[in-house]
Amino acid sequence: MSDPETFAAGPASELDGREDHAPGDAPSEDAGYWVHNANFGLALSVLLTAGAFAVVRSDLVWGPAIPVALLVLAIAQMGVQLVFFLHITTGPDNTNNVLALAFGLLVTFLIVVGSIWIMDHLNHNMMPMQQLMQMQP
Amino acid sequence: MFGKLTWSAIPFDQPIPLITSIVLILVILGVLALVTVRGWWGMLWREWITSVDHKRIGIMYGLLGVVMLVRGFADAVMMRSQQAFAVGAHRGYLAPEHYDQIFSAHGTIMIFFAAMPLVIGFMNFVTPLQLGVRDVAFPTLNSVSFWLTASGALLVNISLFVGEFARTGWLPYPPLSESAYSPGVGVDYYLWAIQISGIGTLMTGINFVTTVLKLRCPGMSYLRMPMFCWTTLASSLLIVAVFPILSATLAMLSLDRVFGWHYFTSDAGGNPMMFMNLIWAWGHPEVYILVLPAFGIFSEVFSTFSGKPLFGYRSMVAATLFICIVAMMTWLHHFFTMGSGPAVNTAFGISTSVIAVGTGVKIYNWIFTMYGGRVRMTVPMLWSLGFIFTFVIGGMTGVLLAVPPADFLVHNSMFLVAHFHNVIVGGVVFALFAGLDYWFPKAFGFRLHEGWGKAAFWLAFIGFWVTFVPLYWLGMLGMTRRLQHVWIPEWGPLLDWSLAGVAILVAGAAAQVIMLVVSIRQRDRRRDTTGDPWDGRSLEWATPSPPPFFNFAQLPDVEGEEAYWTIKLRALESQRLDPEPHYQAVEMPVNSAVGFFTAFFATVTGFSLIWHIWWLAGLGLLGAFVGFVFFAWRDVHEFHVPAEEVARADRARRAARTALLGERGAEAAAS
Repeated sequence: MSDPETFAAGPASELDGREDHAPGDAPSEDAGYWVHNANFGLALSVLLTAGAFAVVRSDLVWGPAIPVALLVLAIAQMGVQLVFFLHITTGPDNTNNVLALAFGLLVTFLIVVGSIWIMDHLNHNMMPMQQLMQMQP
Repeated sequence: MFGKLTWSAIPFDQPIPLITSIVLILVILGVLALVTVRGWWGMLWREWITSVDHKRIGIMYGLLGVVMLVRGFADAVMMRSQQAFAVGAHRGYLAPEHYDQIFSAHGTIMIFFAAMPLVIGFMNFVTPLQLGVRDVAFPTLNSVSFWLTASGALLVNISLFVGEFARTGWLPYPPLSESAYSPGVGVDYYLWAIQISGIGTLMTGINFVTTVLKLRCPGMSYLRMPMFCWTTLASSLLIVAVFPILSATLAMLSLDRVFGWHYFTSDAGGNPMMFMNLIWAWGHPEVYILVLPAFGIFSEVFSTFSGKPLFGYRSMVAATLFICIVAMMTWLHHFFTMGSGPAVNTAFGISTSVIAVGTGVKIYNWIFTMYGGRVRMTVPMLWSLGFIFTFVIGGMTGVLLAVPPADFLVHNSMFLVAHFHNVIVGGVVFALFAGLDYWFPKAFGFRLHEGWGKAAFWLAFIGFWVTFVPLYWLGMLGMTRRLQHVWIPEWGPLLDWSLAGVAILVAGAAAQVIMLVVSIRQRDRRRDTTGDPWDGRSLEWATPSPPPFFNFAQLPDVEGEEAYWTIKLRALESQRLDPEPHYQAVEMPVNSAVGFFTAFFATVTGFSLIWHIWWLAGLGLLGAFVGFVFFAWRDVHEFHVPAEEVARADRARRAARTALLGERGAEAAAS
């Protein structure tokens, strides 16, 4: 990998061993493995989705606990999506993907929580628009 | 059949837009006729329009940005002269509805279609060269990005001749921008132009995040990347993070306008304040999207012309990433006065002051880079020094505005206008001119005229201060922004001073044009035969000027920071180049017309959505999709450049380098 001649041949799609790789760059597994992997993920996610409907429609779960069960299924679903479709792993070759995910979560958190905080204080301090409208003749 | 489009859309009764449009149309027809007469169409199509070469795309971005910069500057001249003339009993020469369109167009054009294309143009041209690679990660997508940006710019310019532009300011605040108060097509022109170019910008962000993370030459680890690559990465990360907010917010406003929904209306449960919140959640990071690459340009300039490595490289990287994150925590300072109360205002006031720390670290690093160095007072260096002076003062007025009680006094006043021009002109525009002078020889193979460049700098620098100091003063006297008419006669003299400053800025712009014309006429005398005209330190200077389309015959193997400087020192010490490599064929991406066709149909779609010509909008979308599939469905993505051609180009480069080695060796011996 460190032989510079290998890089001169193609467009710079490969870096040497010191650099990071995303999964899928040069997979050690063959294509069949990834098809199998995706199918397994699809089956799991369908199962979890169907499970959510089943929990609501049947009395498998004690009534008041249904929201908790749905939450558990939702979190499991997120895990399945991350592992099987976004190929997030804990391996050292996965730093970029994990960092990208963390960055995305941070941005979403900042915007959503910040907006709720701002708008909540605003509504508290200023009269909400609907009430203002109703007060007008 | 044609929706809302009728003959009354053409401004026959308004001489200013009508004459401007006719002149513009004649200029465009003249250029087209010239291209046809000279038979340049084939060349233009093959070498530029369908090119996926990052250097060509960068130059086209630059051209688009410069054209729109001139348009935006013309708007600025009209605004400043209108305010200087319309004092007291005088009425000026622009009617209110026309003046409102001009200040809206000025801001929109300067941010979206002048600053963004120019900054992205530099990112395109420079980043792959500095990383030591042959192109960006997705070359065809890059071309699509450029043409979509051009499509948005075209729509804004069409609004001059067909219909009108928004009268709402550069960010269309509801409820004014809702259909109840802005029934015309102005806001729709704004919305669709920004939506189309915004998609292009988002794809550029994705492209450059991928390029910097995944495409680096061997040995180019993160902490060996030149500063400009770091700022490109941070800026692209911000684009990916916040441009979706812009698209979503403007889409909601469009739904309000077209279908009568109520996201931002003041009745039926809508909330206009949510628009301010969302648009600034994009708008504040946008400032850093522009200024971070500008900081990158200055870092390169200071280091090169001080003959030293950048001082505190790692702290510079840290400061860049710090700004990248904190940039997303300050947006409320644009609407302190909206009424979120002391807790929220305090938090955002503090975060706004804190972000100045990152910038402060950078300023000190630049100063210490010059300290003890052999500083060469070239044109890029003048712009950079002018930047430090201007930006520090702009930053201080910014920290003043970050204090909520102080902000209440000058909110939406001319003080604010002076402040953000202080940082955007002093930060971004100065950087663009510094970068133009610095990388021009690399892009075109000859240097720009130094005397005219210095004249342009001094005129711009002095003109800037003469224009904006009176505006700071007026703001503190209580003059609000966007006034079509000024009632207080005492403000007249200050507005006249400001107009005089604009006259100096016009002279500065003329000096830039003369610089370009003189340099192009003298290009044979100004050739850069070495490829390293400034004694540079990063990898773009290892290539000939202009670089071959494949950039590097063999990808460099980087050892240590300052990749090219290391190679150069080794060559100077041993008095010979590294041994000639064994040349191999190079694979390069083939040209693609997908960008041009997609943008053509995007323009058609945008125009018909603006005028509610639904059948044409459908056809346009279909055309864009079919074109995209047709061009994307190709079997051959790359072609081989034969090893002989690579070897021929590289041997010419090595001959030039050997000559340079002799020169530099003789210089060293003499000193």
